[in-house]
Amino acid sequence: MARESSFNKKSRAVLLVVLGLFSIGQLFPLVWLIDFSLCKSGDVYGANILKIPNPPQFINYYLAWRDGKIPQYFINSVIVNVTSVLLVVLFSLMMGYAFVRMEWKWSNKVLTYVLLGLMIPIHATLLPNFVIFRQLKMLDSYFALIIPYVAFSLPQAVFLMTGFIGSIPRALEESAIIDGCGIFRILFQIILPLSKPAIVTVTVTTFLNTWNEFIMAATYLTSDKFRTLPFSVYNFAGQYASNYAVQFAVMTIVALPSLIVYIALNEQVTKGVTLGAVKG
Amino acid sequence: MHKVLSDKRTILLLVLPGLLIYTFAILFPIILSVYLGMTDWSGIGRPNFIGLENFKKIIFTDTTFWKSLRNAILLALAYVFVQHPIALAFAIFIDKVGGRAEKVFRTIFFIPCVIPVVVTSRMWVSLYDPQYGLINKILDFLHLGFLKQQWLGDTKTALISVIIICMWQGFGWALLIYYAGLKGIPEELYEAARIDGATGVKLYTKITVPLLQPVIKVNFTIAIIYALKQMETVYLTTNGGPGDASQFLANYLYIRAFNSYQYGYANAISVLFVIACLAVNVLFQKIFKSENYEF
Repeated sequence: MARESSFNKKSRAVLLVVLGLFSIGQLFPLVWLIDFSLCKSGDVYGANILKIPNPPQFINYYLAWRDGKIPQYFINSVIVNVTSVLLVVLFSLMMGYAFVRMEWKWSNKVLTYVLLGLMIPIHATLLPNFVIFRQLKMLDSYFALIIPYVAFSLPQAVFLMTGFIGSIPRALEESAIIDGCGIFRILFQIILPLSKPAIVTVTVTTFLNTWNEFIMAATYLTSDKFRTLPFSVYNFAGQYASNYAVQFAVMTIVALPSLIVYIALNEQVTKGVTLGAVKG
Repeated sequence: MHKVLSDKRTILLLVLPGLLIYTFAILFPIILSVYLGMTDWSGIGRPNFIGLENFKKIIFTDTTFWKSLRNAILLALAYVFVQHPIALAFAIFIDKVGGRAEKVFRTIFFIPCVIPVVVTSRMWVSLYDPQYGLINKILDFLHLGFLKQQWLGDTKTALISVIIICMWQGFGWALLIYYAGLKGIPEELYEAARIDGATGVKLYTKITVPLLQPVIKVNFTIAIIYALKQMETVYLTTNGGPGDASQFLANYLYIRAFNSYQYGYANAISVLFVIACLAVNVLFQKIFKSENYEF
């Protein structure tokens, strides 16, 4: 809509100014954070709202990188997230196909059962899962995060996949079946390439959710070995309690990966966020 | 054709992995939670079955439980009556501005939503800090120094401070959903209205808002559930304090389980928490289905 011809330049300029001011307000906390991450720690106590770092204290970032154990936590985050995302994509594709195309009596009931997960709050499983994982000696392992991450991402992913697969024309599959293709070849050679938009959406939304997740990680991991990136920030509050600049630097570093992914895949994120909400 | 698509073994192979992991990590735990909620377990040793004792205690005597629920409702109201009108207005602005700026602003407003909550929460703890925080500095700068506070540390301001963080964080979500809704309204409707002589604000109150009703309702539901589920921000900023001034349900059950070792009691809260979330969902789905808007 909009783009009407009568919409003149002056009111557009006013809108731009309003939007600009509000977005500066919205992002100012982040600007403040990055600004003081480059200053000397004591500078933050000054009266200035922002301060030109002179010279910029890149040492803060070095200390943050080293003492925040960024490389180690980052690798853990990558292992947990890549596995979770791959499993969610694979399972939701398989389930989506089974729900939409396969013929079985329980199809609808099982789908409803899975979509019920959309309504269950993550935090309600924190305590019982802690007990179950402890019993199974699974606490403090990658599995303690991967399993719940996959489980909680599945309902949304299945919802998106069933919607998408349903919109793919059947003709291709039909001729493939006549040619003697099995379900798995159809799924991976026909449906998978066609479902690329849905797969990208599922990947991005799952990634952002699990990459930023903290409460489960804090509950199910007890040793340093498996901890994920958010812990860099969390640990620092103690060790560098009064060195704010280094704290801010570690926060900036931890925020970066999701920010980069978001800016690179902006369209897909937007689609993923809105698809589930507006259609649901 | 039919034979291939109804092969039971294939169906099982396709559905089972996902179904097992989902059942194992979501449904089974919830059922276990119902059982543990009926015990006085401390987390170690054997659970002792006590029936509905915990539930009675929570509902009739636990003031923190009710306060947590009240805080969630206040947060929901803040979303619906403060955050959403602004978000809707800005969604309209962004849509109207068009061109490159449209995409740029849409991207900017969503940035806080993608930053890890650990970062945004710690950041706001710093912003609110009474000694060096930005908020108090800005108040000084505006000659409003008398408004300076121990924002998160004071019973009077803790809840509102947490609510402000949540509104800041979730703003992009609300905006993006309204924006997507706006994109779904056909341009012809506006043209028709303009031919009929409608202009400016009237165009929005008579066309945009009514046609956006389904989206507004979905967005309200999301906001209310989000308010009910609030945990990370609270956990990482005030942990519900001071006292229980800014307590929320999920955080409260966490404290009961891991700080007071009242595992059974915490699970009972957890069960009531799930019931509350389900109730809100069902209630709003009913409201949706009873009314239909056609484009």
